[in-house]
Amino acid sequence: MISIQTDDVDIGTLIIAAKMHGTGAVVVFDGIVRDDEITEMELESYEDVATQELVKIATAATEQFRLLHVDIIHRIGRLAVGENILIIVVAAGHREEAYAGSRFIIEAIKAGVPIWKKELTKDGGRWVPGDHRHGKPKTP
Amino acid sequence: MSVKIRFFARFRELLGSDIMTDAAAGTMFTSLITTVAKKNPEGYAAIFDENGAFHEFVILMKNGKRIEIADAATTPVVDGDEIAVFPPVAGG
Repeated sequence: MISIQTDDVDIGTLIIAAKMHGTGAVVVFDGIVRDDEITEMELESYEDVATQELVKIATAATEQFRLLHVDIIHRIGRLAVGENILIIVVAAGHREEAYAGSRFIIEAIKAGVPIWKKELTKDGGRWVPGDHRHGKPKTP
Repeated sequence: MSVKIRFFARFRELLGSDIMTDAAAGTMFTSLITTVAKKNPEGYAAIFDENGAFHEFVILMKNGKRIEIADAATTPVVDGDEIAVFPPVAGG
């Protein structure tokens, strides 16, 4: 499942669905609203473009790391501290591909998918600084 | 002709989003955004520098495809286009 949505998901159900013939490892990434002295977090997206980008990233990860299954669920809207923001579930034959594929996906999302976060505080709010690389890969 | 402009994040807060605007035939991407952004000085300053050029971090799209800043001044908009202007992404 590739989705941008307001609702949370049941990660346990995703893990069960990710297991199939040939699966030897499932890696779950769960990005969470951190308690950085904020009250809530507001997320927005350029939804059509962001969904297309997530599909491209999932396809690239599947091909590059021989993944058997990929879920990417990115939440938008207003989220409380401790809530899930981003859930990535990948399944592969071996742990190396599963870990690498998961890492590839989160880094690609941070680099180029049009989603923004605003941390809401008692005094107002602040936009989380974005990535200035415009989707280009990191240089060492 | 009618063109839809979408700002996101801080730019949206300052300039609004889903703005339908009438533009003359032959209008270029940069000139259209300049005209709309000038309605709010803070919004204009968020997107353009003191020389009237896009800040290097600004991201531009036309119908879901990236437009390089260097090309925006010579990229025409046409009836029905959706153009987007936004700051660096921060998802994940």
